Amino acid sequence: MSTAVILFLLIALMLTGMPISISLGLTVLSFLYLFTHVPIESVALKLFTGIEKFEIMAIPFFILAGNFLTHGGVARRMIHFATSMVGHFYGGLGLSGVVACALFAAISGSSPATVVAIGSILLPAMVKAGYPMKFGAGVVTTAGGLGILIPPSIAMIIYAVATNSSIGALFMAGVIPGLLLAVLLGVTTWYVARKNNYPRQRKASWAERWKALREAIWGVLLVVIVMGGIYSGVFTPTEAAAVAAVYAFVIAIFVYKDMQLKDVPKVLVSSANMSAMLLYIITNAALFSFLMSYQHVPEEMAGWMLSQGLGQVGFLLMANILLLAAGNFMEPSSIILILAPILFPIAIKLGIDPIHFGIIMTVNMEIGMCHPPVGLNLYVASGITKMGITELTVAVWPWLLTMLGFLVLVTYWAPLSIWLPKALGMM
Amino acid sequence: MKFLDRLEETFIAFLIAGATLVIFAAVVHRFVASWSIPVVQELALAINMSWAQELCIIMFVWMAKFGAAYGVRTGIHVGVDVLINQLGERKRRRFVLFGLLAGALFTLIVAVLGVRFVWENGAHYAFMNTLGQASEGIFPGPTTPDLEWQTWIVYSAVPLGTALMCFRFLQVAWTFARTGELPHHDHGHVDGLDEPDVEDEFHPHDLHTSRHGNAKGNP
Amino acid sequence: QAPIIIKFSHVAAIDTPKGQAAEYFKKIVEERTKGQVKVEVFANSTLFKDKEELEALQIGAVQMLAPVPGKFGPLGVKEFEVFDLPYIFKDIDAVHRFARGPGGASLLKRLESRGVTGLAYWDNGFRVMSANKPIHVPSDMKGLKMRINSSKVNASIMKSVGAQPQSLAFSEVYQALQTGVVDGTEGPLSNLYTQKQYEVQKHVTLSYHTISNYVVVTNKKFWDGLPAPIRSTLETAIKDATVFNDSVAEKDEAASLAAIKASGKSTVYAPSAAERDAWAKAMAPVHAEMADRVGGKTFIDTVRAASAN
Ligand code: NA
Ligand code: NA
Repeated sequence: MSTAVILFLLIALMLTGMPISISLGLTVLSFLYLFTHVPIESVALKLFTGIEKFEIMAIPFFILAGNFLTHGGVARRMIHFATSMVGHFYGGLGLSGVVACALFAAISGSSPATVVAIGSILLPAMVKAGYPMKFGAGVVTTAGGLGILIPPSIAMIIYAVATNSSIGALFMAGVIPGLLLAVLLGVTTWYVARKNNYPRQRKASWAERWKALREAIWGVLLVVIVMGGIYSGVFTPTEAAAVAAVYAFVIAIFVYKDMQLKDVPKVLVSSANMSAMLLYIITNAALFSFLMSYQHVPEEMAGWMLSQGLGQVGFLLMANILLLAAGNFMEPSSIILILAPILFPIAIKLGIDPIHFGIIMTVNMEIGMCHPPVGLNLYVASGITKMGITELTVAVWPWLLTMLGFLVLVTYWAPLSIWLPKALGMM
Repeated sequence: MKFLDRLEETFIAFLIAGATLVIFAAVVHRFVASWSIPVVQELALAINMSWAQELCIIMFVWMAKFGAAYGVRTGIHVGVDVLINQLGERKRRRFVLFGLLAGALFTLIVAVLGVRFVWENGAHYAFMNTLGQASEGIFPGPTTPDLEWQTWIVYSAVPLGTALMCFRFLQVAWTFARTGELPHHDHGHVDGLDEPDVEDEFHPHDLHTSRHGNAKGNP
Repeated sequence: QAPIIIKFSHVAAIDTPKGQAAEYFKKIVEERTKGQVKVEVFANSTLFKDKEELEALQIGAVQMLAPVPGKFGPLGVKEFEVFDLPYIFKDIDAVHRFARGPGGASLLKRLESRGVTGLAYWDNGFRVMSANKPIHVPSDMKGLKMRINSSKVNASIMKSVGAQPQSLAFSEVYQALQTGVVDGTEGPLSNLYTQKQYEVQKHVTLSYHTISNYVVVTNKKFWDGLPAPIRSTLETAIKDATVFNDSVAEKDEAASLAAIKASGKSTVYAPSAAERDAWAKAMAPVHAEMADRVGGKTFIDTVRAASAN
């Protein structure tokens, strides 16, 4: 009963268009006030302590690092390198987009940031080279999703925080699925381009490739520093994020010099702005999950679902549908924060590996960002291309289909995700 | 007003930069202290950095609270507007205004709760103590574990930041009611990339000259 | 009439001694009060986290907790940190002599000025050291990065033997040990076993440098407001739950040690009497350094005297 009231209130408030964080907060306040004896001061306490976790601090760090990389010319050099490697195949620049997104994903924790970094440079160039805009938009919108599947990943950090899982193990679990998805998106790009006979680039010589790699090496090195540093024990994932931010700053200002010191305050403020928005949702979602624990909602839901005789297969199917449907309305952090505390206990009871379930949720979030009506990647791409959302929806279709196929594979074949962290002894 | 805006921006920029440097320093410190170089190790071990994580968390919570207020001004807080976008312009405006006022209401309540919480969490005692009026029934509040700062000072981020956020919601609502304009955050916008140098952007520099002949594709 | 609800929140897993004791307490209370009191146990910090639970208790959002004594330091009752001093208690009987005597009771009494009523002390075994290299004598600790529970006394213990104390989030400890972000950790054997830390630590030394225990507390206003017969039923139930906890903890400590030894994943080293003295001697300066903090030298001497047989 209380579950129904809570969820109804939340959905009703959200549909009025107010910020998600505010609807979460108001739901909790009205429920606590009307139906429980919880001292309302605990709200103020939770609003401070809800984000008082060192792991969460990786989010601002990775956002800051990503912004320095975007502004500092790292993305541009990665595109050069990717083009020199794969530009001569069918759909050349499209393929470079996939490769560049995958490369950039390995240093950025967010999907929209990846779309911005690669898309704002590559898309105008593709149009100029004679590709239809919808082709470029389709590639970059979906390949940008790799940003949260290939580590580092803000979505994984949030899942880890919501479920008390290990961030490092999740990061490692994302590597193989991320690379596989990059390959699948590349194949789709190639197929679409071949069918429509889209342009190709001249094949670069090995000397040109070497030169492009040398220019991009400082960005590529960050991948080695972050993943290598975490795996070899120089730092924890959160510390890795702080180191990445400092490194990206140094590269942008002193090595590539695409940015000047006077641009730094602007980057700091915009990173703080984005981080604060996410942290504000996280805080209010922490409040919401406190309310649900207090009312024993997760246990009740788990009990109900188990009593329906759902097995692993049925539960995973249902979870995927629920997550994809939620992706129609909300952005990933809110979905993970609201649904992970409900779905996670059921998954554990059914014997699903917590890390595997984290990857399933991440892939769902990734797809949610590319499909209408709400998809942050779509909005970002629409901002860059000035295409309407409907038009873009048609454009992303071939890639979206590939991603859905990939989701089935990830969901029902656990070793794809958990083999690597297991082999590395991380779980 | 301009002054408040500037202060807000400077404050959150300082907090994010400061927290990053604190953690970076702590990582470097741990790294150096584990090398077996005689004097260096002694020196490094003598420095205590165990407060770094706590300070970082405190700085980020303050950044989150004041940044959230700044976010109202920049329109970054996302909502589900699918449904209300289907409505006619007049109805839509009502919902937008309702959303803004709901934000103001929520932040107002939280600010009041925050003040009460901070007061009972040690501010009352500190206040009375300063006045030399500390009495039996009022207790000093707790401290943070590592830095041993009074938590009521640390927790003040909640009432202060939230009050500012409430003010920002009212400000935006007022502007919207009068002019129909909303701050809008463009996620696709990147400073300095407005006019990408297309000629130069997507290909290794060396391929420049030969590119035009090939761009339309090999057969 | 609606039942009185006690929300009992703790940060340990359900199958730990504390988790089991909390469930046992719930069972006997609900039986003995015939449903007049309902106990809701929230394990694994599902309701409040380690850092916030005491403040939540003070404002009455939960009614019962069982934190480690060190948690009362930030609350302003630093005397509880006396439990964290190295080698202050010779064995578990020494701990009981102090904690169950007038000394322990007067410590609990001090919490009342913070709106908290102390109910009992629950055992959780002695703490051991683990690392990826053999640590037989204090000098083996030189330069090692050791994960500790954030506390001034714990930090001072590590510094006294030349190690580098590191505070890390609990959820990241396993991986930090596995990858080498930290070289080792310290804690009760039951943690080492249930958190699978022994899998990623080559060496365990039974240093038994400090004890590990919990203080069961409740909100003073809530407790004083209970009807007298119910309060006395609860007091008896706490006593029984304490006996239950302590026996489970004792068996659990032995079982964890046996399981770690049997796994073959870490070598367990029991220091000789002479080596144990060396550890105690190396850590002795901690007592002087922390004396002012934990209530003065005289207080420490009182604790020593009370625990001696
Ligand atoms: Na990434
Ligand atoms: Na979507």
